[in-house]
Amino acid sequence: MALRATRRRLPISAPTGVGIFALRRLAYTNLAACVALCAGTRAPAQGLGVTDDAGRSVRLAAPAQRVVSLSPAITELLFALGAGVQVVGRTTWCDYPPAARAVPNVGDGLSPNLESILARHPDLVVLYDSPTNMVATTRLNGLGIAALLLRQDRLVELARDARILGRLTGHADRGDSVAAAISSVRQAPALGLRIAILAWQNPPTVIGGASYLDELAALAGAENVFHDLASPAAVVSLETIAARDPDALVVFADSGGAGTRPEGLAWQAIRAVRSGRIIVLVGSRFGRPSPRAGEAVVEFRRLLEAGP
Amino acid sequence: MKRAGLLLAALAALILAVAIGPTHVPWSEFASSPIVRTLRVPRALLAFLVGGALGTAGAALQAVVRNPLADPFLLGLSGGAGLGAVLAIAAGLPGAWATPLAAFAGALAAMALVYRIALAQGSELDPRGLILGGVAVGAFAGALTTAVVSLADAVALRNALLWLWGGLSGASWDAVVVVAVYLPIPLAVLFAAARPLDLLALGEEPARYLGTDVGALRRRVYVAASLLTAVAVAVSGVIGFVGLIVPHGVRALFGHRHRALLPAAFVGGGTLLTLADTVARVVVAPRELPVGIVTALVGVPLFALLVRRWTA
Repeated sequence: MALRATRRRLPISAPTGVGIFALRRLAYTNLAACVALCAGTRAPAQGLGVTDDAGRSVRLAAPAQRVVSLSPAITELLFALGAGVQVVGRTTWCDYPPAARAVPNVGDGLSPNLESILARHPDLVVLYDSPTNMVATTRLNGLGIAALLLRQDRLVELARDARILGRLTGHADRGDSVAAAISSVRQAPALGLRIAILAWQNPPTVIGGASYLDELAALAGAENVFHDLASPAAVVSLETIAARDPDALVVFADSGGAGTRPEGLAWQAIRAVRSGRIIVLVGSRFGRPSPRAGEAVVEFRRLLEAGP
Repeated sequence: MKRAGLLLAALAALILAVAIGPTHVPWSEFASSPIVRTLRVPRALLAFLVGGALGTAGAALQAVVRNPLADPFLLGLSGGAGLGAVLAIAAGLPGAWATPLAAFAGALAAMALVYRIALAQGSELDPRGLILGGVAVGAFAGALTTAVVSLADAVALRNALLWLWGGLSGASWDAVVVVAVYLPIPLAVLFAAARPLDLLALGEEPARYLGTDVGALRRRVYVAASLLTAVAVAVSGVIGFVGLIVPHGVRALFGHRHRALLPAAFVGGGTLLTLADTVARVVVAPRELPVGIVTALVGVPLFALLVRRWTA
């Protein structure tokens, strides 16, 4: 009944413009991810079965009613799916939407605190796919609690997560429409602006190609001069930043305290710093893959066009 | 002859550090390039000064505690500096100098604490007390650092650890000037103590009979060496092994007389760190390695060879 009501309210929009976008995204995605996607959307009728990003198959007898989320991106996604009331635990960093703050905090989520998770009596725990979380997952399974390892480093992964979580929380249609909305974020026309995204000042740490921010920058029409670096972030020398000569430097207003805005004489070797072309982003709005990606791209674009 | 060789090696290391880097700068624009003028030259000079400070501090500390294991970091200074730096990063203190100043303050606090622990009956500094106190203070500061890091948020945590591993990526002319103005005083104190340190090498009793005030010598040398280490940590983080390896290396070449040993440790330490930093900058370009990893990878096998030769 509730399911039907949801369906009426949320027409599944035709994913316009997805074609080219999806093709471009697929180039970044490995085969395993595709397999997971297919498995996630085509599960058998009895119970709910999905394959998570660690390649584990997770099966629930009925939609999860008590979910603990150990990643801010997942918490936001669950609320966007209409599963907010089913979220019974979150991390210290889960600050969006504002309603998420009312959910009990089970810790910082970095090395999951099993005791405070168990205290919430979850029937599903969702974790980011990392080695530490893999260990926690094994222990949760040992205690008879289903746990799901998901990655959200790129929009294509977030869209897949929306489908998987939609199914497991009984909001499959909403999951599909959120996934479609995420997949239809439009590519803005190229600005011809070359940027470097600075995650930290000392040692100079830049955002590389395998990251959500790199993807946002590309969608906003800018070119990340460190797109060729295969990791999400890397320590580079100032000399390399100077030599790659970005037109503007993107920094964060709240990515972990001091030292992010370039200060000191040595930074003067970089043209963007000398000419004051520094764009400040709010980390919580741009650093985290979210269903608001479309708005983030528009806002990023506006900042890029406005200049410092 | 040996001295000329060492100076030539130092000069070659400095030229190499300025000439090569992760990017290619054509010779025609070498003098005007901001990459060379604002990045490579100050970085090479800072590496040399920091390496020199660590090498000299190591040689002096090994003499004063009469223990070949002693290095600036065994005595707890790195622990104190690391705690200061991590506190500054976690508290979000603004400004490019906040972290170095906090590290400096942390190193001085650790020095004062170790000094107090090692001060046995009145005014005698006990060498065993210095080492054991240093290890204890270092471990305590390390535990506090871990506590702060585990409570701080993920990005600050990662970067605080990266800072602790040491690196010269923040090198700039103002840092070079600060260090160059600061270094001469503790260096002069150590070089002036060369002869009494030679006497101390004979043993405490003989040194006393030959007119050395062993207590005063220990206090002076310990404080001066700590001040050298503190400034090195403040501008470059914790760069290990230079202070341990360089004194042993130059001793093998220049003998045990501190008049020759201490300056040689300065030039040798500077040369080693300048070369190591050049490797750190170019070997995985465009990325960069923490220089402490390079000094360990190069220094530890050399050190093992030296130890092998002594024990054989």
